[in-house]
Amino acid sequence: MEFSFNGKSVFVPTDVIAGWLSVLIITPIVLYIIIKNRYWSTILDYTTTTNHRKIGTLYILFSMLFFLRAGVDALFMRTQLLTPENEFWVFQGEKYNELFTTHGTMMIFFVATPILIGLMNVAVPLQIGANDLAFPYLNLVGFYLFLTGGTIFFLAFFFNAAPNMGWTAYAPLSTDSYTPGPNNNFYIFGLQVSGLGTIFAAINMMATIIRLRAPGLTLSRMPLFPWATLITSFLILIAFPVLAIALLLLQFDRLYDATFFLGELGHPVYWQHLFWIFGHPEVYIIALPAFGIFSDIISNFSRKNVFGYTSMVISLTLIGLLALMVWVHHMFTVGLGAFSNTFFAITSMLIAVPTGIKVFNWLFTMRRGVISMKAPMMFALGFIPTFVMGGVTGVMLSSAAADMQFHDSYFVVAHLHYVIIGSTILAAFAAIYYWYPIMTGKILDDTLGKWHFWLFLIGFHLTFFLQHLAGLDGMPRRVYEYTQEDGVWSYNFISSIGAYLMAVSMLFFLWNIIKTHRSGAKAGDDPWDGRTLEWSVPSPPPEHPFERMPVIDRRDMFWWSKINNKPLPVAKNPRPSPIARRTFQPMFLAGSLFILSFGFIYGWVWVQILGGILSLSTFVIRAFSDERTEAYKREEEENEQ
Amino acid sequence: MSSKLMSEELFADKKTGFFIYLFVEAIMFTTLFATYLIYTPPQTGPYPGELFEWQTTLFASLFLISSSGTLLLSEKGLKERKMKLIVAGVVITFLLGAGFMYFEIEEFRKFITDGHVVSTNNFLSAYYVLVGLHAVHVTFGLGWMIVLLVQGRLLPFNLFKEKHKIFNYYWHFVDAIWIIILLVVYIPYLF
Ligand SMILES: [Cu+2]
Repeated sequence: MEFSFNGKSVFVPTDVIAGWLSVLIITPIVLYIIIKNRYWSTILDYTTTTNHRKIGTLYILFSMLFFLRAGVDALFMRTQLLTPENEFWVFQGEKYNELFTTHGTMMIFFVATPILIGLMNVAVPLQIGANDLAFPYLNLVGFYLFLTGGTIFFLAFFFNAAPNMGWTAYAPLSTDSYTPGPNNNFYIFGLQVSGLGTIFAAINMMATIIRLRAPGLTLSRMPLFPWATLITSFLILIAFPVLAIALLLLQFDRLYDATFFLGELGHPVYWQHLFWIFGHPEVYIIALPAFGIFSDIISNFSRKNVFGYTSMVISLTLIGLLALMVWVHHMFTVGLGAFSNTFFAITSMLIAVPTGIKVFNWLFTMRRGVISMKAPMMFALGFIPTFVMGGVTGVMLSSAAADMQFHDSYFVVAHLHYVIIGSTILAAFAAIYYWYPIMTGKILDDTLGKWHFWLFLIGFHLTFFLQHLAGLDGMPRRVYEYTQEDGVWSYNFISSIGAYLMAVSMLFFLWNIIKTHRSGAKAGDDPWDGRTLEWSVPSPPPEHPFERMPVIDRRDMFWWSKINNKPLPVAKNPRPSPIARRTFQPMFLAGSLFILSFGFIYGWVWVQILGGILSLSTFVIRAFSDERTEAYKREEEENEQ
Repeated sequence: MSSKLMSEELFADKKTGFFIYLFVEAIMFTTLFATYLIYTPPQTGPYPGELFEWQTTLFASLFLISSSGTLLLSEKGLKERKMKLIVAGVVITFLLGAGFMYFEIEEFRKFITDGHVVSTNNFLSAYYVLVGLHAVHVTFGLGWMIVLLVQGRLLPFNLFKEKHKIFNYYWHFVDAIWIIILLVVYIPYLF
C-alpha cells in the first residue's frame, strides 16, 4: 500500500498494516480485561518480584506468546506452500525469507530456550530444597534481558524490517554488503541482549545447584531434572559466550565496515564455525532439560523410581561433553576435507549411544510400573517414539557421505523438527500440565489436555513425516514455491493440513488455561502423589517453602516418607537462604538496553550514548541499594554484643 | 547444617557465581584470541610488526601488572579491618590502572591518526575488538573502584568486604587477560 507522507510517498506492505491493526485491536481488549478484573496489583507483583516461581511463570508466559507469533509465521509459510506456484498474500520472495528467519530464530531463542529456563525456575529450587535461586536479583535481570531481546526481535516486523538471512545468519549474506538496512541488526541485538540473560540464568542455576541443596541431598540423590539443568547450564556457559562474540564480530562487519566474514580477505566459513560451536550445543541445551523432565514424569506416573539412575546421569554428562565436539556435522558440504568430516561424523554417531541408553531406561522405568495415563504422561509417551525417529534420521545425517545428498533439503527440516518438537516442545507441554499446580495452585483439565495432546501429535506427524519424503525427492529448504512437475505437491498439501491441525490443538490448550483460571478448581497439595521434594510443599508454595528444611538420606525421599508414614526429618540449623527484595531496577535496565539497542540498530549515535549512560547508571544504583544491607547490619550488631 | 555466619555463606554463594561468570568471560576472550590468530598476519598491510612500539607496550604492562600487586594492600587491610590500608590500596591501584589506560588510549590515538582504523584490514579489526574489549574492562574496573571507595563509607563492613573481594577477583582476572594479550598480540611481532 502506498501512503503519501509530507509529500513523500511511503510503501507499506499489507501484512505490516495488518500487524499494526491487530495491535490496535488487541491492546484495548487487553487493557479492558486488566481494568475490569483489577489486575494491576498482580501485574505490579509479578513485574517486580524476585521469587523464582513467579519469574519462572513469567518466562513461560512470554515464551508462549512468542510461540504463538512464531507459530503464525509457520502457518503463513505452510499456506504459501499449500499448492504448486501458490501466491498467498505477500509471502513470496523476500517476505518469505523474513517469515522463515523470524520463525526459526524466534522458536529457538525466544521459545525453546526461555520456556525451559522458566520451567527450571519453577521446579529446580523446590526439587533440591532451596528457598530461592542463589541470586534472586540476577534472576529478575535475566528474565528482563530475555524479554527485552525478544521484544526487540519481535518489533522488527512492525517496522517492516524483519531479519531475512535465515536463523543461522550465514555470511556473507548476513553482512551489510548483501543485506543492507536495519533488518538484520534486529537479529544481532535481539540475540545479544537475550543471550546475556540466558548466561545469567545459567550462572544462577549452576550456583544454586552447587550451593543450595538441602542437607543430605548429595548430587547422587538429586532428581534428574536438576541434573539435566546442571549439565545444560555448563553447556550454556560455553556456547552462549561464543555466540556473543560471533554477534559482536558480525556487528563490526555490519556497522563499522570490518571484513571478518566478507570478501577476499575475510572468512565466511569462520562465521559457520563460530555459529555452530554455539549452535550444536544449543540443540542439547534445549534437549537435555526435556530429558530431565521426562525422566521425572515417567517415574512419577509409573510409580517407580527411575531405572538405571546412574547410567542416566552418566549419559547426560556424556551427551553434554560430546555436544561440544560435533559442530562440523552442520558443515560437511563446506569441503573441510576427509579427515575432518570423518572425525565429526564419528563423534556425531557416538551421541546415539548415551541417548539410546536413556531411551531404554525410560522404557524399563515403565516396565511393571503402575502407569497412570494423565496428560503429562501422554506427552511423555508421545515423546519416546517421536524422538527416536528424529534420532534415527540424525544418525543418517551424521554420515558425511550421505549428508551430501540430504544437505539443505526438507529432509533436514523434518529431522530438526522431530528432535526439537519431539523433545523440547512436548516436554514443555508435559511440564506445564505437570507443574501447573506449583505455578498457580490450580490443575489443568485432563480431558482437554488429552485433546490437546492427540491433535498436536497427529498434526505434528502429518506435518513433518512427509517432509522427509519431500526432501528425499529433492525439495530444497527455504523455497517459497515449487511446480507441479516437482512431484512434491501431495506431501506439501498434507503437511500444511497437519500444521493447521497443530494450530487447532493449541486452541484446546488456550481454552484449557482460560477454563481452569475461571472455574478455580484448587489443585490441593501433592496432586500427582509425587516422589520428589517439590510436592512436599503446598501448591502454590509460599515464598519461603522450606522454613522447615528437610534432611535427605535417599533418592525419592518424599515418596519413601509417604510409604513408610514417617515425616521428613527437619534440619536443626540450616544454612541461610538468599535474601530478596522487590525491585524496579531490572525493569529500568531493560528500558535502557532497549534504547541502546535501537540506537545501534538504526545508527543513531545520540540514542546510543543515552542508552549507554542509562544502562551504566543501573550498576551504580544497584551498588548502593543492595537488598542484603539491613541483614548484614543486624548480623554485625548481634556479633558485637 | 551450618555453623558459619550468614555473611560467610552468602559470600561463598557469590564467589561461586562470580567465578562461573569469569569462566564465561574467559570463553569470550578465548574466542577473540582465536579470531586474532586467524586474521594475523593479514594478507595486506599494515602488519603488526610495523605498528607496535615496544615502549608503549612495556609501560602499559608495567602499570597494569603492578596494579595487581598493590591491590594486595587492600586485601591485607580487609583481613585486618584497617580502612586506611584498604583505601590506600584502592587509590594506588586506581592510579596505576589509569596510567595503563593512558598508554592504551595513546596507542589507539596514534594508530587512528596514522589512518590505521577498524576497517583497514582484518588484523586491525581483530586487534581493536580484542584489545578494545580488554580496555573497556579496565575502564569499567576504574569506575568500579570509585564506587568501592564510596561503598566503604556507607555499607556494613562485611558487605563491603564481600564487594571488595569480588572486585579483586575481577581486577586480577583482567590482569591475567592482559598477560595473554601480551603473549599473543604483541610479543610475537615486537622482536
Ligand atoms: Cu548439530
